[in-house]
Amino acid sequence: MGSVTFRPEIHGQIEKVGSADIVVGIPSFNNARTIGHVVRAVQAGLAKYFPERHAVIVNSDGGSTDGTTEVVQLTSVEDFNAILLHHRVKPISKIAFPYSGVPGKGSAFRSIFEIAQTLDAKACVVVDSDLRSITPEWIELLVKPVLDGGFDYIAPLYHRHKFDGTITNSIVYPLTRALYGKRVRQPIGGDFGFSGKLAQFYLTKEVWETDVARFGIDIWMTTTAIANGFRVAQSFLGAKIHDAKDPSADLSNMLYQVVSATFQLMEDYAEVWKPVRDTVPVPSFGFEYTVGLEHVNVNTARMLKIFREGLLNLRELWQDILGAGDLAEVERLGALEDAQFRFPVTLWSRIVYDYALAFHLKKLPREHLIKSLLPLYIGKTASFVLEVEPMTQHEAEAEIEKLCLEFENGKDYLLNRWK
Amino acid sequence: MMDFLNLILDPLREMLLQFREFLPNLLAMLVIFALGFLLARLLRTLLVKFLGAVQFDSWSDRMGFTTVMRKGDLWMKPSHILGAIVFWLLVIVTLMVGLGALKVAAIDSLVGQFFSYLPRVFSAAMILLIGYLVSGFVSRTVLIAAANGGFHYAKLLAEAVRVLLLVMILAMVMEQLQIATSIVLAAFSIVFGGIVIALAIAFGVGGIGAARRIIEKEFAEDRPEKTPDDVEHL
Repeated sequence: MGSVTFRPEIHGQIEKVGSADIVVGIPSFNNARTIGHVVRAVQAGLAKYFPERHAVIVNSDGGSTDGTTEVVQLTSVEDFNAILLHHRVKPISKIAFPYSGVPGKGSAFRSIFEIAQTLDAKACVVVDSDLRSITPEWIELLVKPVLDGGFDYIAPLYHRHKFDGTITNSIVYPLTRALYGKRVRQPIGGDFGFSGKLAQFYLTKEVWETDVARFGIDIWMTTTAIANGFRVAQSFLGAKIHDAKDPSADLSNMLYQVVSATFQLMEDYAEVWKPVRDTVPVPSFGFEYTVGLEHVNVNTARMLKIFREGLLNLRELWQDILGAGDLAEVERLGALEDAQFRFPVTLWSRIVYDYALAFHLKKLPREHLIKSLLPLYIGKTASFVLEVEPMTQHEAEAEIEKLCLEFENGKDYLLNRWK
Repeated sequence: MMDFLNLILDPLREMLLQFREFLPNLLAMLVIFALGFLLARLLRTLLVKFLGAVQFDSWSDRMGFTTVMRKGDLWMKPSHILGAIVFWLLVIVTLMVGLGALKVAAIDSLVGQFFSYLPRVFSAAMILLIGYLVSGFVSRTVLIAAANGGFHYAKLLAEAVRVLLLVMILAMVMEQLQIATSIVLAAFSIVFGGIVIALAIAFGVGGIGAARRIIEKEFAEDRPEKTPDDVEHL
């Protein structure tokens, strides 16, 4: 395995630290505005819940030009007395550096894993640098099950607005749950805790030039942990509120990276998921409470326009992937009025399985294949928004549960066609 | 009397002598023809079996080659077509080698010309094959990107890109085969320039009304976007 080559000054920083019990990784790219809050919350969490442990904050940066790394180095909790019972015994070290490799979150994580391995860390945490809702308790909830509970991987469990996390809710969660049998609600949540042993295991894999090096890292970490028999749990962290995203961020590329990593994992672990018939909940930590969520604007008219244009222009491609029967159902949807537009969950689960099969059979170049899913995914998202708009958060969650059961019931469809 | 007979018999003897010298060449040619033909048949059979084993026909379906063949009224399997091409190529090569065995100056020159032209045919075939694959790939990339962007004329745009690329590739193939290079160059310039001018005129003059309608439609459809999308997909 080719390891990351750190610059000499980073080696100096690592040598100075020597070893650590806990490594907290924060990948960043131009997050100077928000990363200070994240670093303060992490420092407070480490001081409050792990005062005796030797901890290091690692900022793996993608070449920020707005002074992100300087903010990390300069940030500290001004008044420990205001939030803590007692002062921290051991100081918290910080390492901030630009990572090398394919630009993306996965490459940033790889450097964090390398440092965790070098420092012989017992537990690691990764948190996004644009979080506005992170609190010191997140560190406790992501680290304690690893250090004291013997778990290897802690996925986050958030309260999110019913319209948010649609790739998770309509593709990744139902599919991962049906395939591997573990109900990890936020498999691509972005904020995880894991053991030093698992970090070392991740480093043995040669995936750092693939989509895993970008947005695919989250699903790869979760699936690798589940499929290789590591002990998995989830912790309730409250609300997940990010800094406002760049509206020009390309959804098509995001979908491609996440879905292609998910499908590739299906190839790699086919012998693991094929025999799985039932799903089981994973242990959950944290006290679940209701949180107020920000309003989310959705333009369903624009979404349905993209769906209909996709139907008009990608019909032949869809016919090859979905077959004539399912395409006819999709065409029927295209003729519906906006208000009546509802994507049947059975059809959607079959479409996702058809795409997984097309990926497996290499029916099209993978980028073409998965990007051609976008109008269908947008249509499904619009349908979900229209359907759950009058519902409460709890009722919307019940709709996602229905979809998951449909994926589980339809797994034979996938198995019978997977050769 | 003897002199007279010699006058008649000498050319006949000479001809017989020449024929005896030529006979091994003729036999060599016939043997080359027979062996070459048998070898061509054997290779065709092996190639078709190999292509069947690697599922070449399914791959051709996916790449769109089968569709192109059907449009050209070719109804054999793609693997059989490739087998037939290889067979006839070998038969032609056998004919050329066999004729070369006759050691006739005029035929030797013809065979020489044929073999010096072969590399051009091969590179032209490669340009055609790779160009076809690339044009299909680029066209599909444009189609998916435009459709995902909600562009109404995505299919038309992708088809235009494919045709433009194919025209360019065909011009390159003709140039490689040295078939009327000056005419091809002129025709290519005229076709390409013509397409650009036609588009300019269509949108600038003739299609001004249609262009206005398209732009107005796009703007009208964009109006609902005033409601922003704040959905976090991940």
